[in-house]
Amino acid sequence: MLALLRDKLLEVSKTVAPLIVAVCVLQFTIVHAPAALFIQFLVGAVIATIGMVLLFAGVDLGILPMGRYIGAELPRKGSLSLILAVAFALGFATTVAEPDVLVLATQVDQVSQHRIAGPVVLYVVATGLAVLTALAMGRIIFGWSMRAMLTAVFALVLVLAVLAPADFIPIAFDAGSATTGVLAAPVIIALAIGLSSVLQGRSAVSDGFGLLGFASAGAIIAILLMGILLS
Amino acid sequence: MIALLIDEFVGTAWSVAIAILPLAFLFLLFQIFLLKLPRRQVKDLLIGVVIAALGLFLFLFGIGIGFLPFGRAVGKALSEIEHVWLVVLVAVLLGFVTTWGEPAVRILAEQVENTSSGSIPSRMLLFAVCAGVAVWVGLGMLRIVFAIPLLYLLVPGYLLAIVLLWLSDRDFVAIAADAGGVATGPLANSFLLALALGAAGAIGGENIVVEGFGFIALIALAPIISVMMLGVAIRLKTRQPE
Repeated sequence: MLALLRDKLLEVSKTVAPLIVAVCVLQFTIVHAPAALFIQFLVGAVIATIGMVLLFAGVDLGILPMGRYIGAELPRKGSLSLILAVAFALGFATTVAEPDVLVLATQVDQVSQHRIAGPVVLYVVATGLAVLTALAMGRIIFGWSMRAMLTAVFALVLVLAVLAPADFIPIAFDAGSATTGVLAAPVIIALAIGLSSVLQGRSAVSDGFGLLGFASAGAIIAILLMGILLS
Repeated sequence: MIALLIDEFVGTAWSVAIAILPLAFLFLLFQIFLLKLPRRQVKDLLIGVVIAALGLFLFLFGIGIGFLPFGRAVGKALSEIEHVWLVVLVAVLLGFVTTWGEPAVRILAEQVENTSSGSIPSRMLLFAVCAGVAVWVGLGMLRIVFAIPLLYLLVPGYLLAIVLLWLSDRDFVAIAADAGGVATGPLANSFLLALALGAAGAIGGENIVVEGFGFIALIALAPIISVMMLGVAIRLKTRQPE
């Protein structure tokens, strides 16, 4: 345990050092923020660094194996409907779990002139995300082409972005990023790796990754569609 | 000051709790009905989850009290600089180092290295993701300064991504899709967003919050393109005869 924490501390130092150095250089060259604010930054940086050490250790010990176990168990005992149900549950869990999505809901409320209530946004985003997560899981199981699916998804995003009201575009893309949080990302990645590891004839990398990308595209598509339907 | 700290503390604790509980709940459902792992293993996993939750809490708390206010100060200072090239240069630099520090980017890179048995080193992927974000953060700043519509960057960007999809190595297409999701983590959302908001505020006019969100869209697109470009380079390299 201690050896793990020591390793992680070394790794995290290398991770955050460039950012902290860059901020220090900026402080003394162009920013010149009040000393109190700069000290506050340094204190925050120390706390965040300790936090990241624990986060990485915990992700290795708990989050990643958890996702892998679930992913590997799915095709063994589960029927297709169970797998899709899990995809939906994950989609909803990760969406509802992101605090940013609430901020987002308020934004949509504003640009739609209060025609869409916050909870509606939440369900729309969650549904879009869940549908594409399920499709992406289906891709791993049935071996559909990743290139063809991503092309279709990107093209759909493009067409919808051109058609949607301008105010909805930034919000839609923000929804895409808000739904892939620090904890949700490793779980979803591990789940897909676990799923592809027990299926025969699957490439570890090209089938194990990509799920997260589809999930966030689902959120983007959902918000853009909502914007088009409203206008 | 104390009241603000307590607010931040409670708010962060709450968001970590609602981030972790659905995941833990889903796992326990699986454990009870399907997995039935030995009790000891479940205990170890749950201890790991608790450590991760504590770590995430400290990380977000540190960002909330330190990075967020300072990010705003940087944004404000940048908006007072007259030279556009200097603003873009600082944005590119911060784009790189912020992504370098983003936890989820690091986790993805390590998972790729493990899953590919070391054939795709995490460092190579990290550089590609960070360089991509740096370039697009720079473009995003130019967009704000010259008031270019967001679609003028997003449409060519996604078209390029679609073309690269078919040219790139298969493994890198999958990794690129995930990379877009992880680059927009809490550091980008506080530090880089503050940068964009500062610049947008100085230009004035349009809705500042919407400008900031548009910035996030570019950060999500950036690694998709740069990682697939890496995939194209690797495909060309491996195709050449020995």
